[in-house]
Amino acid sequence: MTNHWIDLRNADVVLVMGANPASNHPISMKWIMKAQEKGGKLVVVDPRFTQTAAKADFYTRLRSGTDIAFLGGMIKYIIENDLYFHDYVINYTNASFLVNPDFKLPADLEGVFSGYDEKKRKYDKATWSFQMEANGTPKRDLSLKDPNCVFQLMKRQYSRYTLEQVVQITGTTKEDLIEVYKTVGSTGKPNRVATVCYAMGWTQHTVGVQNIRAFSMIQLLLGNMGMAGGGINALRGEANVQGSTDYGLLFHILPGYNPAPTAALTDLKAYNEKNTPKTKEPSSVNWWGNRPKYITSYLKAIYGDKATKANDFGYAWLPKVDEGANYSWLNMFDKMFKGKFEGFFAWGQNPACSGANSNKTRQALSKLKWMVNVNLYDNETGSFWRGPGMNPKDIQTEVFLLPCASSIEKEGSISNSGRLAQWRYKAIEPVGESLPDGEIINELYYKVKDLYEKQGGAYPDPIVNLAWAGHKGEAGKLGHIDMHDVAKEINGYYLADVFDKKTNKQVGKKGDLCTNFVTLQDDGTTSSGCWIYSGSYTLKDGKEVNMMARRGKEDPTGLGLYSTWAWTWPVNRRIIYNRASVDPNGNPWDPNRALIQWDPVKLDPKTNKPGVWVGDIPDGPAPPMALAEGKKPFIMKPDGVGSIFGPGLADGPFPEHYEPLECPLTENPMFKKHRINPTTKMFFGKEGDLKEDEFATCDIRFPYVCATYRITEHWQTGLMTRHVPWLLEAQPQMFVELSKELAKEKGIKNGEKVNVSSARGTLWAIAIVTDRWKPFQIMGRTVHQVGIPWHFGWQFPVDGSGGDSANILTPTVGDPNTMIPESKAFMVNIERG
Amino acid sequence: MKLNNNDLIRKETASSMTNHWVLAISCLLLTLSGFAFLFHIQSIGDLFGGFPMMRNIHNWLGVVFAVSLFLSMWNWLKECITFGYNDIEWCIAAGGYLGKFWKKKAPPMHKLNTGQKLFYLCLLIFGLGIIVSGFFIWLSPGFRTIMILAHFLHNVCFILIGIFLPIHIYLSTLGNPGTIRIMIYGTVPVWWARKKSQQWVEEIEEGHSH
Amino acid sequence: MTTKALLITPELCIGCRGCQIACKSWNQLSAEKTKNHGGYENPPDLTPNNFNKIRFMEVPSEKNPTRWLFVSQRCMHCKDAGCMKICSSPGALTRSETGAVVTNHEKCVGCHLCVAGCPFNVPRYNRKTNKLAKCTQCADRVPNGLTPLCAKTCPTGAIAFGDRDELLAKAQQKGYAKVYGEMDLGGLGTLFAFKDAPKIYGYADKPAINEFVIFWHKFLKPASWLGIGGMTALMGLHYLAVGPKKETQDKEEPTCLCGEKITESTEEREANHETKQ
Repeated sequence: MTNHWIDLRNADVVLVMGANPASNHPISMKWIMKAQEKGGKLVVVDPRFTQTAAKADFYTRLRSGTDIAFLGGMIKYIIENDLYFHDYVINYTNASFLVNPDFKLPADLEGVFSGYDEKKRKYDKATWSFQMEANGTPKRDLSLKDPNCVFQLMKRQYSRYTLEQVVQITGTTKEDLIEVYKTVGSTGKPNRVATVCYAMGWTQHTVGVQNIRAFSMIQLLLGNMGMAGGGINALRGEANVQGSTDYGLLFHILPGYNPAPTAALTDLKAYNEKNTPKTKEPSSVNWWGNRPKYITSYLKAIYGDKATKANDFGYAWLPKVDEGANYSWLNMFDKMFKGKFEGFFAWGQNPACSGANSNKTRQALSKLKWMVNVNLYDNETGSFWRGPGMNPKDIQTEVFLLPCASSIEKEGSISNSGRLAQWRYKAIEPVGESLPDGEIINELYYKVKDLYEKQGGAYPDPIVNLAWAGHKGEAGKLGHIDMHDVAKEINGYYLADVFDKKTNKQVGKKGDLCTNFVTLQDDGTTSSGCWIYSGSYTLKDGKEVNMMARRGKEDPTGLGLYSTWAWTWPVNRRIIYNRASVDPNGNPWDPNRALIQWDPVKLDPKTNKPGVWVGDIPDGPAPPMALAEGKKPFIMKPDGVGSIFGPGLADGPFPEHYEPLECPLTENPMFKKHRINPTTKMFFGKEGDLKEDEFATCDIRFPYVCATYRITEHWQTGLMTRHVPWLLEAQPQMFVELSKELAKEKGIKNGEKVNVSSARGTLWAIAIVTDRWKPFQIMGRTVHQVGIPWHFGWQFPVDGSGGDSANILTPTVGDPNTMIPESKAFMVNIERG
Repeated sequence: MKLNNNDLIRKETASSMTNHWVLAISCLLLTLSGFAFLFHIQSIGDLFGGFPMMRNIHNWLGVVFAVSLFLSMWNWLKECITFGYNDIEWCIAAGGYLGKFWKKKAPPMHKLNTGQKLFYLCLLIFGLGIIVSGFFIWLSPGFRTIMILAHFLHNVCFILIGIFLPIHIYLSTLGNPGTIRIMIYGTVPVWWARKKSQQWVEEIEEGHSH
Repeated sequence: MTTKALLITPELCIGCRGCQIACKSWNQLSAEKTKNHGGYENPPDLTPNNFNKIRFMEVPSEKNPTRWLFVSQRCMHCKDAGCMKICSSPGALTRSETGAVVTNHEKCVGCHLCVAGCPFNVPRYNRKTNKLAKCTQCADRVPNGLTPLCAKTCPTGAIAFGDRDELLAKAQQKGYAKVYGEMDLGGLGTLFAFKDAPKIYGYADKPAINEFVIFWHKFLKPASWLGIGGMTALMGLHYLAVGPKKETQDKEEPTCLCGEKITESTEEREANHETKQ
């Protein structure tokens, strides 16, 4: 979330697309409905008439996997009807930038952008660049008329997304499209703001990232980024999933969104050179220019005194990713299936149910020598060897279960979707022998470290040189860790007296907690385990204060920022890019939503000079961009502006509609040559590919579009909820929802057991025949879509009455940027059981 | 065979007497507890050991009542459905109970007079109603309409039995001195029987009946 | 204490069923084995272990494929309560200070007449414990200054708890001209702000206690006193006015019971010895 949960109430238009907050984020509906109460409009676009749709001011449907067509049409509508926010687009986005004349749009190249290599299924992004002035800043045409400027390219790109074409692809009616476009487009005025709530309905596609980008472009066009009540808001599927990505849970990032080092970057210098963006734009903050400070402080945090300037702060000890390698979920299980792993820690997860293509995932587990299952209790993963279709005799995998404590049995912080890190306390002692995950890791750490210290091993340095805030257990006893020590390590310490490089004023005293990441250094004099959290546990009036444990309820702006409740990264800023909520002179676009405002008269307490920001914490203290030494608002971007043209992604600087891997159409209505995302990794199709990865598109055996989703009563693979009898009572069984029309065609009655199958597997489900699903008219023919929840698993309830995981049906394919599996659009058949 | 007026004549057998006692006691206790349920009379509830206990007693007394009412048919049904012209006369004379206000004399009756017969039939019919509805209330949760109708019927029968019960008790005690001994001994003096059940005595004397 | 009420606004309900689960949690009601019957709604009905359930109803809509309604079903806490009328045990169903109809398991005799007497088909009879079970408007929370847990849990304000008058005023302020339960059955303790006709939400337009129950309560109950009491009085009157119908032995007959003979064949002679006129 660029904004935060409460901020949803400040919107004039809330577009919910690819999400069902009423069911899956019920508390968020409180704020959405508060927006409605004040006259805001809730617009829901979803293949299914959801609980959220039931509360919507306007609802319309689209076929799963056609969001870019829908949104592309919206971009066209906004441009054609001149609904965009001119001042914002010109000043705060790269719309005026001139793009390399060699750059080609899919319209010119039969469906791909310039630089496409069909063999590698990859783009060479050389042409996805800007024309440069002599001073090294991008060339601009503020009139937005140059045919090579971003705005004109965008206009040309989406000129193909005519209402008629969009209707054919999405199955939405023309009237409905116009209504949604008009409603969202109405917020291109300074005093009107739209927000978007999305979840896995946008991300779990082979065009997942581009779905989000498409709407990000719209938000930039309408001037809704940085505004209270605006932004791009991912409703995350788990209370602390924001925290997990912040702390580098994914393979390609280190904590604080620093890229994981690759094999070619042999030293810190090379790493910094590769990963530190540079700009010649004088008014750009280019915050990522500070990368060396953050990576150095990170290395100091994990290697402590062992990290010295001489040894590159231990950079060499960091594990390196092979060039071009992708260790994400689908690839990892593919490798596991192919016998490339010996052991596996399934930590706080249930891959046997959660991973796409469950049958393959479960088979993959059987190829392991050992698996450690760390969970509250046994699950379908730990017991995979006795699951359906398994013969325990044939499986050699040794499984260990380490019971861990639940969230209420331990202390620590969690970070919600709004980047709010909130401290939680232990309510009860862990049950039985279970331990908090941190304590398990602590134990593991000392045991492994001991072994390396005693036995040496191939490369002990990365382990034996680690520094850690935990305590080792003495004489066979368990060690322990204090979560406050860990939180402080994350915040970071001044390891020496630190002085400001420009003013030479002391900013930090040796041994103190860092104030925030602004004072972090690249010379090894500071440490910070995760720079974006620097400032979360800090010194206030000489006392160490856990900012995440704050419980203030003040709301001086009336915008619901509640800045003294817990702590938000970065530096407790509740709405990021808030400098874009004011005009270039620092006056709020909408005085009724004034997040920050430049007061040219008031004295800055730090410098004692006139001119200071008032209101929330601004995105950097520099004056607004029109003033002397003023800075542009998008401080994380090298150019200081929002990217309408976004060359960073694998699959194109503009979103383009491609069909899902499995779709009901023989070809992409946009371009015959490229049906699916041309950069998506293909697991199946060549000789020698696994049968398990088979897919079936436009195949009469699997004629219906299917999407998986969640229900209120269950969570994730249902492990924590299926075992709660009350929740199981409310939602006891796997079901499939289908339209009355399809049910009639197939002779399926409401409430009867049916089989749902895909190219990869079959599962039974109870049919829910409902008006909430309706057939679509796609390219002149009727296309049915069905939907299934994913929370069930064979192991519990033990009588098998629950059913099995929806992922038995989902394909092995992912988004080229994130490799998130495409579980929101695939093809199935449905038959009476 | 002429009976001696000073002799006693057996009107009820031991079994029919027992039958009557059981019926009477269960009926009275059921009435009492029924009233307590209807009007939430805590003191009666306490007598029965609290309302939940009273409910159990009420239900099981209902079984006792049902069984004894069923068995009573062997004792009295035949007599009670045998009507003659004298029953009409009896009714016109109001059984001769109105004394100076209605000087008509009751005609000679058989073993039981019209009032007694009608009371028995009333008890039988409404008793059956109260039993059936009672069992529905007891054993059939879930059928709301049936429950309500059963409850309604239970109460209607209760009221009707309740109306006849005081008459029966009064006439067998204070209203007709000497009658109560039938409950105790089963016998009455022949001369007394001649007054009350002249036809019956005559039949015995003629050897038709005992 | 003032009369409290719950105000339920289905238009604000998102069907998350937080209240349904919270109710079970607070009242520690065990779960039941259920099946999916072709919908989200479960358990299929109120049970002794489910005091509050959300009904999921799909009704026709003009602008959308359907109109999906989420409506709570639970005790309405009627002022004129059919269950209390028909209840056969004093104290089993009582009126709390805040106007709720509260169950007392110790006093309940398990006759389950309340199940039948309720115009909303709410109370349930637990065959295991032989007691009735239903929502008490959290009678163990409200007197302690807490909100009923369903209202506390509701994220969107679809269930509000407070002073009945204030809630009514608030609902009217929000444009709900007629609040369901404002007047019905003497005024309900569970009010519904319906946008449309109550029957669309699965509620009777004019809820009423069954006529048989009313007739019974109004007429039959007094009649039973009247019957037994009146008749007893009548008999007393007869005793005084007419007097007993004393039978006397005719003069010409001997006056003593001196004979041994009893017209019977049985062995119960001993009775004769004691018999005196």
